[in-house]
Amino acid sequence: MKRRNLFAASLAAGALAAGRKSWASVPEAAQAMGRTAPPGTVPPLTPARVHADQIMDIKVCLRPFRPAGPRLEIEPVADKIVVHNYGHGGSGWSLSWGSAAMAVERAAPLMEKRVAVIGCGIIGLTTAITAQRAGMNVTIYARDMLPHTRSVRANGSWTPDSRIALITAATPDFAATWERMARYSWQTYREYLGLPGNPVDFRDNYILSDTPPDEADHTEPAPDISKGSYASTGMPQSEAEFAKYGDRIKDIIPAAELLAGADNPFPVAYARRKPIMIYNFGAFGHALLSDFYQAGGRIEIREFHSPSEVADLPERVVFNCTGYAARDLWGDKSLIPVRGQTAWLPPQPAANYGVRYKGAAMLSKSDGLMVQGVNLSGLGELEGVGNSMEQPNRAEAEQAVAVFEDLFSRFRPRRG
Amino acid sequence: MAPHPIFAKQAQKAKGFCTALLAITALVATTHAALAAPRHAPAPAPATAPSFTAEQADHGAQIYAGTCAMCHGAALEGAHDMPPLRGLFVARWANTPLNKLYAYITHAMPLMAPGTLPPQDNIDIMAFLLRENGTEPGHTPLPADENRLAQMVFPAPNALPPVKAAPPGKAPRTR
Ligand SMILES: Cc1cc2nc3c(=O)[nH]c(=O)nc-3n(C[C@H](O)[C@H](O)[C@H](O)COP(=O)(O)OP(=O)(O)OC[C@H]3O[C@@H](n4cnc5c(N)ncnc54)[C@H](O)[C@@H]3O)c2cc1C
Ligand code: HEC
Repeated sequence: MKRRNLFAASLAAGALAAGRKSWASVPEAAQAMGRTAPPGTVPPLTPARVHADQIMDIKVCLRPFRPAGPRLEIEPVADKIVVHNYGHGGSGWSLSWGSAAMAVERAAPLMEKRVAVIGCGIIGLTTAITAQRAGMNVTIYARDMLPHTRSVRANGSWTPDSRIALITAATPDFAATWERMARYSWQTYREYLGLPGNPVDFRDNYILSDTPPDEADHTEPAPDISKGSYASTGMPQSEAEFAKYGDRIKDIIPAAELLAGADNPFPVAYARRKPIMIYNFGAFGHALLSDFYQAGGRIEIREFHSPSEVADLPERVVFNCTGYAARDLWGDKSLIPVRGQTAWLPPQPAANYGVRYKGAAMLSKSDGLMVQGVNLSGLGELEGVGNSMEQPNRAEAEQAVAVFEDLFSRFRPRRG
Repeated sequence: MAPHPIFAKQAQKAKGFCTALLAITALVATTHAALAAPRHAPAPAPATAPSFTAEQADHGAQIYAGTCAMCHGAALEGAHDMPPLRGLFVARWANTPLNKLYAYITHAMPLMAPGTLPPQDNIDIMAFLLRENGTEPGHTPLPADENRLAQMVFPAPNALPPVKAAPPGKAPRTR
């Protein structure tokens, strides 16, 4: 009984005022929300073919996690003004445009027409384009073009508060800064919806669970005090230390809805569906580069070995968008690597959705079917923290793939 | 040119996200003062620099909070579909005669009820905008007189000093 109440409450939190009513069962709850489609009208879902022998690539990436949040400061170096824009953790894609707008806003009063951007990952490219939109002439200096950056080794969906800051390390005003960044980014990304090649798109993401989702949602494992915390060890030690801000923007982010009965196409007791924004790396990277060049941008391949080398640049204002590499290049030891890995299978446009189940994620994108172990170890946000091993781990990839191989082997033709 | 000592000091001061946010205007201002200092003798304030009083800016802040902040943001930050009144705003209005900004605010703002604020309120809002964008208040009030406003321009106090043209025959400096 208690469990059911919790479940109803978690449901209600999404769409109705929490606590107004508690439902006795899942179908009743879904009906009360007015969302159950008449039987037989829900189009069938094509099962995805997820098998280890279909893996075509395994990509590993280090999230540039900064406990205080991204660095957006102005720093004079030699006779230049450096505007930092790095350290976006697991949220770099999501927050890129908003963070770029803030960096450009800091640079604008310098009244400099010609500026440099170091880095051609998602942060560098969006910063460069945002600077162009503010009337600046931009040259990007980077060691690697986008396809070789860490940015394209990500998952690439809207995850704006994934490992973005620690509660104790971020300043109190960071929450509002984050909100501004997230709102600005979301609105800018919408400009790229519906373009040829679908650089930015939406997918229905199915969040599956064999147990009532409220159990996973509401029972935070009690932090193990003996392990200490970020304050005592310099590393986050429990999931509860990570700042979460998603509630601040829930007015514009499509909510998850519960799928009951015939609406649930999966052989799993509990399913929720949430439309998520995704970034198709190939198409989006192409769109960004085209935008940049068409606005007169220039790219120079070049590696910097110390901050003082910015003195060589002809530009006097320099945006530093070097991501995790800023740890060495700029000596920012507060950057903590958070390892993550994605496995890529051939594209399966017929199975055009995402699934999250048993600590693994699958996402159908135009450039491949991505499979990622997001929480296979049960460590949650702590998974990969402090791990800078940027080599693929085949066994981990196969473990994630096996989750979906099992799920789809149990897939049955739809009832009614 | 070696980094001016003030850079290092300011950079240290600006460690940490919050400090930096707060310190940026001051930092940039000091930085440019430092950049400019060795090159130019302290120039007399140009005749076109506007002057306003702290009282005007304070009053302007009150009007702003009640009439403009709902759209342009409590910290003048703007949003995706709303122009900010700091940052990019300076780049857009710098060196424009102030009577034009005054005319715009008077005729077009607040957007839902243009022209409804009394002239003195609009003048004080301009004083507030000047202060928030790095101009220091002084003793002479900003005049509610369009002809005199036409003699002043919106300043860009944080603009980098002009680049000196390389002397003829010399290659551009490299390191
Ligand atoms: C597995 C995984 C999944 C993720 N999923 C998501 C997600 O779904 N959504 C999301 O929003 N975020 C996600 N992220 C986070 C996101 O990928 C990062 O925050 C983002 O890629 C950081 O981008 P960046 O441009 O700052 O850095 P990078 O992509 O690392 O780019 C750095 C640039 O700087 C250049 N550079 C570096 N050093 C030098 C130098 N010395 N000289 C010259 N150039 C240099 C590089 O060549 C490169 O061009 C994920 C991360 C991982 C690891
Ligand atoms: C209802 C929302 C709203 C309110 C309230 C509002 N503004 Fe605006 N303001 C806007 C919009 C929208 C624009 C852009 C107008 C356009 O592009 O045509 C703008 C433009 C401006 C600009 C020009 C910005 C630029 O970069 O060129 C100034 C200055 C300005 N507003 C000042 C004010 C002041 C001062 C107030 C309060 C007295 C105010 N606004 C109240 C919505 C508003």
